[in-house]
Amino acid sequence: MTSRSLIAALTSAALLVSPAPADAQSPAAAQPTSTAPAAAPTQGTPPAGAKAPVDAKADAPDAGKPAANAPTAGAEAPPPAPQKVDPGVFDKALKDYFDGKPRDAAGPLHAWLQAAPKTDENYAWGQYFLARSLIDLGLTHAGASYLARIARERSNPNVLPRALDTLKALTDRPHDEVMIDAQVFGALDLGFLPEDTGAYAHYQQGLVDLRVGNERWANTHFAKLSETSPEASRAKFALLVTRLKQVKEPSDEIISDFLALSEDAKLTREARNEAALAVARLRYERKDFQGALEAYDRVKLPELDPGRASLYLEEAWTRYKLGELRASLGILTTLDAPSFRDEFLPDKYLLRALIYRDLCHYLPAKRAAKELTRRFADSLEAVRNREDLTQDVRLRRAANAHGSTQRAARFLETLELEGERLGRYAGSFGDRLFSHLTKLYDLSRAEAVRVHDARLAEAVRQEADTLLRAAEQVRLMEYEVGLKLYERVKKGARIVAPEDEQILSPTQTAYRFDGEYWNDELRSYRVRIDSRCIEETP
Amino acid sequence: MRYALLILLLLTPGLVRAQAEALENPGAVSAIQERRFRMHHELLLGVGVLPANAYYKGLVGTVGYTYHFTDTFAWQIGRGTYSYNLQTSLRRQLERDFNTSPNAAAFQDQVQWMVGSDLIWSPLYGKMAFLNESVLHIEAFLLGGGTVVKLDRDGGFRPAVNVGLGLRLFTGKTLSLRLDVTNNTVFTGATRVIQVPLIQLGTAFNFGATE
Repeated sequence: MTSRSLIAALTSAALLVSPAPADAQSPAAAQPTSTAPAAAPTQGTPPAGAKAPVDAKADAPDAGKPAANAPTAGAEAPPPAPQKVDPGVFDKALKDYFDGKPRDAAGPLHAWLQAAPKTDENYAWGQYFLARSLIDLGLTHAGASYLARIARERSNPNVLPRALDTLKALTDRPHDEVMIDAQVFGALDLGFLPEDTGAYAHYQQGLVDLRVGNERWANTHFAKLSETSPEASRAKFALLVTRLKQVKEPSDEIISDFLALSEDAKLTREARNEAALAVARLRYERKDFQGALEAYDRVKLPELDPGRASLYLEEAWTRYKLGELRASLGILTTLDAPSFRDEFLPDKYLLRALIYRDLCHYLPAKRAAKELTRRFADSLEAVRNREDLTQDVRLRRAANAHGSTQRAARFLETLELEGERLGRYAGSFGDRLFSHLTKLYDLSRAEAVRVHDARLAEAVRQEADTLLRAAEQVRLMEYEVGLKLYERVKKGARIVAPEDEQILSPTQTAYRFDGEYWNDELRSYRVRIDSRCIEETP
Repeated sequence: MRYALLILLLLTPGLVRAQAEALENPGAVSAIQERRFRMHHELLLGVGVLPANAYYKGLVGTVGYTYHFTDTFAWQIGRGTYSYNLQTSLRRQLERDFNTSPNAAAFQDQVQWMVGSDLIWSPLYGKMAFLNESVLHIEAFLLGGGTVVKLDRDGGFRPAVNVGLGLRLFTGKTLSLRLDVTNNTVFTGATRVIQVPLIQLGTAFNFGATE
């Protein structure tokens, strides 16, 4: 691990926690009836604690007039004239929504919004319930776009906190970072917000400042967070990562701060694990391998969770540095598990070759080294031929597996999925809402593709660099092993006395590995292998 | 000599292949884990049946205490079983149609209760995947010991030898489910023995196990 890769890893970790994955909270928006405000009336009345949307029939213009036929909405056609809608439509749509029929509510709500003036007292409520209906139907991006509109227009202070809460819940999933994180939470006037939402917005705005390198401004936001809030802990983590980027030699204080965060119960388990990994990486860089190992032990995985391949590989390197070759080889066995088969880990082959070489098993060492060039032959060929690396399956998959590229890829995937899902509602939404949403998804998808492609191009380049570095070291290794293979054994040399076999303690149990991987064993593999090295001077 | 050479010649490819395999894939891999479930003081509450006797079926309730010396060896210091007996239709028919006396010798083998003690050896400890969703830990054991059986007759105390096997399914650090299938060989007379098999399902509470 170089310090550059360390910083990159920590940065990606910080970005990972930035959209604050919630701990086991189910997004409120996903359940139409149960998550609807408890005291919400069934017809046209607002959620509990909020001011009632005024009866639409009384306020809407053109009340009682017959609805005119709207011109067919086409993708290139000019926007159609607003269709006249019976104001009772709003009440009925609301009733449908609270009756658990978001599919029936969405079309009429949209039609009502098209007809009603933006100054209508219920306009924001209409947008809100349309958004909730769409989210309930699995069209989260479309729902988020209406919620973001509410946040930007701020026409109704009663609706705004609910819209922001729902938006906040949506940030746990792949989402439009520009529309939600930057344009809503990153740009909110924070004075009027409820505490929870306000804390999240402060955190997001601080994060935006940190990303542009303005730590002082970020601190003014972070200082407003309550010490007991999860956002405060996340902010601390982001600050530490930023500071780490600025210093050449990380201080003990930074490490102990990360250590404290790894035990901070306010953080999600994922964030705590990231903090523990940061400690392990920093200690590794300082050659405190035993300390690094202790930090890896702090990483707690959910039961039967396979964990992350990078965690295992880092632990394997640490054990290798500690001279625990057999334990390191055991962890490499873990990385051959089906869960990690698609992981891009060129280092894995190199480390295996190094261990075999250190144990003087030269043929396996050579084979392990060759395995890298064999396995990544296509990718190496593509690099050498200066082909478009984004078209290389392995490099592309590796680039899409972490960091901002992963987020962009997931968002694109979500858009594609929701775009397909939208087709199912063509009949029930009506032409206008359907064509509007189709256009929205097409545009969003085009933008998501652009963002993803830009990030992908940079990310595959980094992955190709990693691969090339590993390939280069493997060639050196092959050469070295080749020399060792044909080295003459001097007279009087003898095989090194085999290491005492690790005896099981009474509290331990051993399961012989026969190629079948069990998730609960992934961190427990140990290899029994004799050294074939010879002592030159007995 | 010629045979020896021939045998050596035949063995050579196998030996070479084994060595090549060891050269190419050296080492043996094991998953070494802390034993997840360990027993110490075990209190057993069980229910079961005495199914074998043709003249009655016993519904039993058992209380037992076991001390576990190690993960593989334990002493079931005491167990007491009470049997609630139900007469079978055969016995009723014999009494009704053939005027067999209720005090007939064959009917006096009914077990009223029994107490005993056993040694337990648990050589098997393993795990199973349940629907590929969760891991279940189990233990299989053999037990053997002595029993004093009270039969349904005057002065009905009889000695017995108890042997059996069992299966334990761990559901937590302090709770496990235990299935025992045992057989008491009861010495009812100088030359007469009867077999009293018992199938029993129990809940075992575990106290004081070190983590």
